Amino acid sequence: MTDITAPATASQPVLCVQHLGKTFGEHTVLKDIDFTVNKGDVICIIGPSGSGKSTLLRCVNLFERPTSGKIVFCGDDNACQNPRLLRQRVGMVFQNFNLFNNLNVLHNCTLGPRKVLKMGKTEAETLAKKYLAAVGMDSYLNAKPKQLSGGQKQRVAIARALCMGPQVLLFDEPTSALDPEMVGEVLSVMSDLAQQGLTMLVVTHEMNFARNVANRVIFMDDGVIVEQGTPQQIFDAPQQQRTKDFLSRS
Amino acid sequence: MIAILQEYIVDILIGVGYTMLVAVIGTVVGLAIGVLIGVYRTLPCPRNKAAKFFKRAGDWVLGAYVEIFRGTPMMVQAMVIYWGFALLNNGQTLNVTFSGLFIVSINTGAYMAEIVRGGIISVDRGQTEGAHALGLSHTQTMFNVVLPQALRNILPSVSNEFVINIKDTSVLNVIGFTELFFVAKDIVTQTYQTFRTYLLVAIVYFILTFGISMLLRLCERKMDGKQNFKLLGSQNLDAQSYALEAQND
Ligand SMILES: Nc1ncnc2c1ncn2[C@@H]1O[C@H](COP(=O)(O)OP(=O)(O)OP(=O)(O)O)[C@@H](O)[C@H]1O
Ligand SMILES: [Mg+2]
Repeated sequence: MTDITAPATASQPVLCVQHLGKTFGEHTVLKDIDFTVNKGDVICIIGPSGSGKSTLLRCVNLFERPTSGKIVFCGDDNACQNPRLLRQRVGMVFQNFNLFNNLNVLHNCTLGPRKVLKMGKTEAETLAKKYLAAVGMDSYLNAKPKQLSGGQKQRVAIARALCMGPQVLLFDEPTSALDPEMVGEVLSVMSDLAQQGLTMLVVTHEMNFARNVANRVIFMDDGVIVEQGTPQQIFDAPQQQRTKDFLSRS
Repeated sequence: MIAILQEYIVDILIGVGYTMLVAVIGTVVGLAIGVLIGVYRTLPCPRNKAAKFFKRAGDWVLGAYVEIFRGTPMMVQAMVIYWGFALLNNGQTLNVTFSGLFIVSINTGAYMAEIVRGGIISVDRGQTEGAHALGLSHTQTMFNVVLPQALRNILPSVSNEFVINIKDTSVLNVIGFTELFFVAKDIVTQTYQTFRTYLLVAIVYFILTFGISMLLRLCERKMDGKQNFKLLGSQNLDAQSYALEAQND
């Protein structure tokens, strides 16, 4: 494993993944995963199918209970014990959007703030409209998810996550379920967010996004972190044979 | 037949009234029972040992309720409950209307429990995960996201139960409940017009069930809402291009 290169700015840790291990029955999916997410980081996780990338993200917001090791959410000890508290601070954007089919775009975005943050109706709606405008979906407030294209759904899903004011946002292959012509609109929203300083942990197969937007890239294979570093280090000068093989294939 | 209708119109309307009363209340209360049981049975298994035991015990009791009431004829249940109550209370029988409502409700509840559970299970897991990812609790997720979708999906089955109830309340005549079939029997004893009376009653039953089916179908369509939506602020160029994109889909 190569050294972690510290970001240029003074690093302020937000989330620490410490010696994380996960097994499903006999099957070990993650082994001794150890890394720190600093404020403002955009970390891309790449790796072959089945290497445990989704499982890692699901452990980070406690959808899966780690078998060993732990997730430390810095600055709030309670949050690490309580999944619901943690998830208010660590948002998630899914491959299949998971928008609520029974609610329109606006109410998809206001449900979390109203029920979880106990925000008032008008306040929540103002907030939702602000983030929907940021992702270019503010003219679709009344649409139901099934009336939207894939790219539009994913942009709404991103706005929905932003409404909770997360300190870290996790993305699990946010563009993998999209038709090629819609990938761009979602990636450009994500680049904007990165530029605004949102801390993001992104599992992706979009190598250009990883190269241009991330400040750190983690390559995983077979449940371990094989190599991590800046995009230049990983893409231009990979140290490990497995990384080279993977990059030459994709 | 017209003559029978003219002479006994009041009795027939009373019969229709009772039949619909039991069918409506039985279906609504049955659905409520079904929702409660369905929600309970789909609760995640608790980690705590004692809580786990109680959850399991509850599952078992509710499972037994469902199987017993689905596995025996409602006519028999009516007799057992009505006369069982009388036996335990020295011959004092239960109010017939109350008995009828009670029996149809708990019988429907047993069917609804399975229908609701199926409806809950059929809602995509992603919906629950999406809600949990925002920090919603299991209960909040259930009532705001899962149940509304489950109920919409099971509406055809609920309508079906309702129609079955309209017809099946006829078995309540065994405890002397004055629903439509009971009225028909009564008319026959006075007129001896067996065929005409029952044909008339059959037509009345059909009008009820068919009418209700149509009404509920309309409700389903209402619940689905509009097929289109209004694009807001389409003055703006950006929104216009998005609108085009939506049309092309
Ligand atoms: N709930 C589960 N039970 C058992 N095994 C699981 C479970 N979830 C994931 N796995 C296994 O864990 C391994 C890693 O899965 P994971 O979904 O994390 O891979 P991934 O890196 O996200 O792959 P992809 O790029 O295809 O999404 C796989 O072999 C999978 O079969
Ligand atoms: Mg995955």
